[in-house]
Amino acid sequence: MLLDIFDPKAPPQAIGIDLGTTNSIVAHVRDGKPVPLVTCDGSALLPSVVHYGAEGSVLVGRNAVAYATREPERTIASVKRFMGRAAGDVETTRLGAYKFVAGEAAVVRFDLGKLTPSAVEVSAEILKSLKQSALDQLTHVGGVVITVPAYFDDAQRQATRDAGRLAGLDVLRLLNEPTAAALAYGLDKQENGLFAVYDLGGGTFDVTILLLEDGVFQVKSTGGDSALGGDDMDREIAECMLLAMGATTPQTRTAEVVSIALEAARRAKHALTDAPEVSIELPKKGGGELQFVLTRADFDAWILPLLERTGKSCRRALRDAELEPSALHGVILVGGSTRVPRVRSYVQELFGKPPLSDIDPDLVVAYGAAIQADLLSRSSDEVLLLDVLPLSLGIETMGGGVDKILPRNTGIPAGAKATFTTYADDQTGFDLHVVQGEREIASDCRSLARFKLGGIPPLPAGFARLEVSFHVDENNLLSVKAVELTTGITQSVEVKPSYGLTDDEVEQMLIDALDHGESDFELRRLRDAQVEATRILLATDKAFDSDADLLAEAERLRIERALAELRTAASSASKASVVEGAISALDDATHEWAGRRMNRAIQSAIAGKNLGAVEQSVAHAAGVEAHLAKHGER
Amino acid sequence: MGPFETLGVEPAFGLDLTALEQRHRDLSRALHPDRHSGAGAAERRMALGRAIEVNEAFRVLKDPVRRAEALLALRGVQSGEGKEPPASPALLMEVMERREALAEIRQSKNEAALARLIAEVRGEEGRVVQALTKEFATPSGNSAEILKRIGELRYYRRFLDEAASIADDLL
Repeated sequence: MLLDIFDPKAPPQAIGIDLGTTNSIVAHVRDGKPVPLVTCDGSALLPSVVHYGAEGSVLVGRNAVAYATREPERTIASVKRFMGRAAGDVETTRLGAYKFVAGEAAVVRFDLGKLTPSAVEVSAEILKSLKQSALDQLTHVGGVVITVPAYFDDAQRQATRDAGRLAGLDVLRLLNEPTAAALAYGLDKQENGLFAVYDLGGGTFDVTILLLEDGVFQVKSTGGDSALGGDDMDREIAECMLLAMGATTPQTRTAEVVSIALEAARRAKHALTDAPEVSIELPKKGGGELQFVLTRADFDAWILPLLERTGKSCRRALRDAELEPSALHGVILVGGSTRVPRVRSYVQELFGKPPLSDIDPDLVVAYGAAIQADLLSRSSDEVLLLDVLPLSLGIETMGGGVDKILPRNTGIPAGAKATFTTYADDQTGFDLHVVQGEREIASDCRSLARFKLGGIPPLPAGFARLEVSFHVDENNLLSVKAVELTTGITQSVEVKPSYGLTDDEVEQMLIDALDHGESDFELRRLRDAQVEATRILLATDKAFDSDADLLAEAERLRIERALAELRTAASSASKASVVEGAISALDDATHEWAGRRMNRAIQSAIAGKNLGAVEQSVAHAAGVEAHLAKHGER
Repeated sequence: MGPFETLGVEPAFGLDLTALEQRHRDLSRALHPDRHSGAGAAERRMALGRAIEVNEAFRVLKDPVRRAEALLALRGVQSGEGKEPPASPALLMEVMERREALAEIRQSKNEAALARLIAEVRGEEGRVVQALTKEFATPSGNSAEILKRIGELRYYRRFLDEAASIADDLL
């Protein structure tokens, strides 16, 4: 294109982002096909590496990689492994070149002297770079789907979403990586049946079993390990290299030496994909060089324990889905680490069939994300993804055990309630500890949130009744609400997990990051509101096409007025609040109609294709109102 | 709204689970939040709430214990642990013996023996489910008998959960 200048009136383009441990990719759908966008490095793959210069510059991608051995502490790679982790987490103690801010903080921070960026902020730099590349090529970026490992817990998901918001992206959805890969494959091949997705990335392993049936991608079970991947293979090799180099003590293992070994290990691993043996030159302690020889047979033997860990997750996922490997129609390979020949042969042994890898395993997740972003922003109904909760959610019990409220592999969105009672006379407060994981002991699970519900009337032990409800939305994000039910007094507490950032904090960080602070922020808010308005206008027009008959005349006029006002506001208002106000006015005007449309959709789903009867039962306003009254509004 | 009504199926214990799954998918097509992602905040909230209800109803009806309890609730009979008659000595004896076998397997890590034990208990569970189907099919269905059966199912369920966690360790 010759005149590719910024045009705010250009239609917003939805994009999908695979925020990977090793590489990140942004893709979009062009003429019905997903294609990768070129990143600032000139290729589809942007190394997920961020360099913080001492003088304040920030570099991303290959430019950052160039500093990896020169300034290893200031060059952050594999930041995904630290997402949602607290300071002092085991992840911070593994072989690597970074220093961390010490303490018990809820969020791990890299210690770069004056700067102490969190994993969320580092990830946001990668996302900002991808966003800029997308803007350069698409002129106007709309909604974004970001992928996460299926096995990510709530903390890791919240952190990913925060990174998206911090990068100024309109995050439509967090999508599980294996589901994204299946979407790319499923739409490409138009096949039905049961599939396993084996996703071994740089830092995470996921296995997902799903059923593809006429456009519905239903996840049956998922499993994995959010700290297992190609990086661990590198560490195995690097460990041996360090010994050969004479770096045996912590004093000799400086950040420079460790990063040289890790970098050489990666090169050796890649070379072994095609060659049976590789020789790498390494510096020796006290000067000089040595030739480090590694055979594929050795490498295969070293990584077998890692592969066996993936095998265990796969067997468990099959068992959770109540399936034998023979029931599967195919196994899809995802992630750069599945290029390792031993990984492929292991997967074949495990599932008893050769795996599919005809879509580039580095790009397939981004393709799926782009497809989902495109479907969501067009409000398309061709495809539906039904995902599950990867790890059980529960409440710590009195003895330190766990009361599971929602077990793993529950279909999402999900909700459940549990009732607890007081254990002491006149107890007026209640401590609740929300945990995630499969272990029987609360302290072995991931701690998500602690909160106290006070103001319980003094009653004998066991009389007060506390109802705790869990809600997990389509992004697999949890919210918890607690209500005390005795003597008609109810109070509720909304809980956001403790490690995440509040909306205010994100907003403040955004303002701080922009050159012109408030005014740039206001402009961004206006753009976001305009994108949102476009989306809602489209959805409302669509609803008019199909369900205008469910409107009384006065209602229809009110909605048409609200629509006209929103159109005007979206195209001419200069303040975000005006557009936001018009959106919420339309929201109010269409609220009851939405309930009726939903009831119609439910009835037609229940009646199957026999729509005639449904039309009759909901066509008249009176019937509609009766229906609404019966089903209630929540 | 009860789970049967939410999924639009006639209350019965002997449900066609494949048809139920199909119904769940059809309702998800209508209600899943992704289907309403372009809509305003109020509609999105409404869709989320209803999709959660549909998923929860599906989870209840898939599980024989909770399905039986939902049917009893429709008859005005309270159920739940503590409402059921104490287990018969014969059942207690049987469960105790199997528990010992399970404890041995925990030590010996004998996968084949574990699989056999699980299959056995699944068989017992299936027989109780059949008995419940019959009991619920009779219009005069005896609530006391049903509660007793639910209690038995609970015993088997707990046993199978424990066996599953041992199987997890053996994987």
